[in-house]
Amino acid sequence: MGRIVGIDLGTTNSLVAYVDAQTGQPRCIPGPSGGTLCPSVVSIDPDGGIIVGEPARRRLLTQPERSIYSVKRLMGRGPADVQSELRLFPFRIDPSSNHVIRVKLGDKVFTPPEISSFILRELKNWAEAFFGEAIERAVITVPAYFNDAQRQATKDAGKLAGLEVVRLVNEPTAAALAYGLHEKQRGKVAVYDLGGGTFDISILKLISTGAGDIYQVLSTNGDTHLGGDDIDNLLQAFVHEQILQTDQIDFSPHGEIAQQLRKELIAIKHRLSEADSATLLFPLPNGKTFVHEFTRGAFEALIRPVVDRTMDPVKQALADAQLKPSEVDEVVLVGGTTRTPLIRRTVQEFFDHKLHTELNPDEVVALGAAVQANILDHGVKNMLLLDVTPLSLGIETYGGAVAKIIPRNSTIPASAQELYTTGVDNQTGIDIHVLQGERELAKDCRSLARFTLRIPPAPAGLPRVEVKFLIDANGILQVGAKDIRTGEQHIIEVQPSYGLNDADIERMLEESIEYAEQDFAERQVIEARTEAESILGATAKAQSNPNAGALSSPEHAKIAASIAELRQAVKGNDYKLIRQKIDELNRATEHLAELLMNSAVQSALAGKKLAEV
Amino acid sequence: MSEPFTVTNAPLVCWNCHERTIGTHFCPGCGKVLQVPEHTDYFFMLGLPRRLWLDMGTLEQKFLELSWKLHPDNFVNATTEEREISLTRSSELNDAYRTLRGPVSRVEYLLAIEGTRKEGKTKQQAPPELLEEVFGLNESLDELREAKAAGSDVGALRQRLGTAEQGFKQKMKEIDDELQLAARKWDQTLDANADEGAKKRVMSQLNDLLNRRSYIRNLVVNVQKELL
Repeated sequence: MGRIVGIDLGTTNSLVAYVDAQTGQPRCIPGPSGGTLCPSVVSIDPDGGIIVGEPARRRLLTQPERSIYSVKRLMGRGPADVQSELRLFPFRIDPSSNHVIRVKLGDKVFTPPEISSFILRELKNWAEAFFGEAIERAVITVPAYFNDAQRQATKDAGKLAGLEVVRLVNEPTAAALAYGLHEKQRGKVAVYDLGGGTFDISILKLISTGAGDIYQVLSTNGDTHLGGDDIDNLLQAFVHEQILQTDQIDFSPHGEIAQQLRKELIAIKHRLSEADSATLLFPLPNGKTFVHEFTRGAFEALIRPVVDRTMDPVKQALADAQLKPSEVDEVVLVGGTTRTPLIRRTVQEFFDHKLHTELNPDEVVALGAAVQANILDHGVKNMLLLDVTPLSLGIETYGGAVAKIIPRNSTIPASAQELYTTGVDNQTGIDIHVLQGERELAKDCRSLARFTLRIPPAPAGLPRVEVKFLIDANGILQVGAKDIRTGEQHIIEVQPSYGLNDADIERMLEESIEYAEQDFAERQVIEARTEAESILGATAKAQSNPNAGALSSPEHAKIAASIAELRQAVKGNDYKLIRQKIDELNRATEHLAELLMNSAVQSALAGKKLAEV
Repeated sequence: MSEPFTVTNAPLVCWNCHERTIGTHFCPGCGKVLQVPEHTDYFFMLGLPRRLWLDMGTLEQKFLELSWKLHPDNFVNATTEEREISLTRSSELNDAYRTLRGPVSRVEYLLAIEGTRKEGKTKQQAPPELLEEVFGLNESLDELREAKAAGSDVGALRQRLGTAEQGFKQKMKEIDDELQLAARKWDQTLDANADEGAKKRVMSQLNDLLNRRSYIRNLVVNVQKELL
């Protein structure tokens, strides 16, 4: 059987990693540009070509209607679930969506698992280029708080990408694995994982025994719709409001301007993690430049609600683990958003403990996935992972109530049995509605699936069918039914409430062969050409700016020559040459960019009233 | 002293090497994980006698030892048969640990496998000594619901119910203490090799305590719901 790699399929960035056989240490695999982060962005070419990662991220600015980011927010959810987010996220939900969301990209329609599968396929390609062999098996991470439908959607994405998903691992647990290996800590560990779109808090016990190391999850909690994206949205809403007031411009969240603003605000957000202030200079369609200085204090006041929202799950997780904050021995921060100083301060104060941030918060989950992949691949016998299910499993009972059959934070695999019989003569089906959640009523819980037991006709009360509910090591539900009287297995029809059924997937697998299954080098050329297009466009725009006149003749000539060389390279198939010419053009236009930046600042200052300066 | 054969630890025929074996989880002959027998018994699975007083450290140790061997992670590259078996066995193991770890669930489980768990004749049967209090509580609950519906002031009512809730929680604690005493009596009957009659008496007492506890717990839950 082939090698198993570890994949972090993140909201903002995705990564693939492996364990180096020589050093025994996990490492992330770089992509063609040398970086290990693959932005979780997908864009569809007019001719149907699929673009993933950094090139797709650039397309968000130029062709937002063909591109999508943060698709993880849509996994395992129905159209009704995401309505409230549509104001802030430019998801184009197609009317053909039923219980599964369908997203419009250009003139094509895709489901979230399909879009995620494009990202997975990209990482698969990175790994294959790195190892020089086919990669067909992977461990993929999911937020610990992901429900059954969200997990199944992730597995489906893997399948569509041509990967056998050997195990789904919870992200905080993966991070604990990476840290455990690195730091060799023991005792009670709290993992606070705030990513682009999801928040998890897990409390683990790490024990060293003669047999090896045990990573036992005591409790987990979280919010699958809380993350860095929400901070971005707060910033965006704030600026949007300001611009509306000062310039009466109201731009839609679906357009290029919104995407450009988002990109700038993310840069501001990052800068505010290092500096005390950062200034936004944003060119408006009316020719003016919007200027706003964000101080760290003001920024923190703005994002406080997001940070506060993370603390309730933290308290609940500690209560479920029957621990006080002071009883936690180590605190680990995971996820890019935890670079925010406010978050670090808040978590540190709450636990009154030093925080572990030694490992790169962007990479640590992928590294942990690689460790798990290694354990599974080589039957490593000195590490044991005992994870839990985050949500109680229940069955709808008479009156719309829910009977919990497997409590939350039960170690997985976990099972429960229920005995069923018929209430009416010759009843041929028994319907079972399975849900996840902590509430008392079915309508307040998350519908997982409806099962129908097919029963041969018999007098009422005679059939005795034992249904076994099993949550496997991936945290996904399996159901089996047995006729007690005959010992035979029963047939169960499953209708997932928010997912694709087997027929859907088979069809999509067939269709995916239609999409240009291009070989690695070909795709490199396409990506390089896309990037070339983008920089040529930007250069042309810059050159037409009146301030470009300040450039000297030799500089202009240099730029013109560089443009010509790049145009020539783009005609050919040598992607390395194209990239080289892109770099050269970038260098040639550095001074031009500086000039434009300075003049923008000046004109902005001139535009402001004296009193405001 | 070894346990006599009961229906739960009858010899199995190994699915792989076809030898008759009395291994609990693995075939001593070929080493493969054994299929799960028809009737499982959580005590037997964890290698523990059917005693109600358990040392938590020992319980955890046995659980972890078995987890090492049975976890599905060990069987990722194994045959489909082994993977399915390990999935079933490890889920049973986790269920066993979860059940035996809680003092109340442990008693319930023991009575269930001994065949002596009988729930109250009607779910609504109040323990006789509490009839008055239960009556008063139900009255207060009705009053609170009416007051809420009418929109009138509920401060005093809430306080009264809050006090009642504390009272019942205290009663539950007393029952838990009684349960512990009765549990020790059970273990003593095993040690003394007591006759069936003595065992049945203790189990009847345990059963009764469980029913009372369950009833009062429902009361507390109902009050908490109204006070939310």
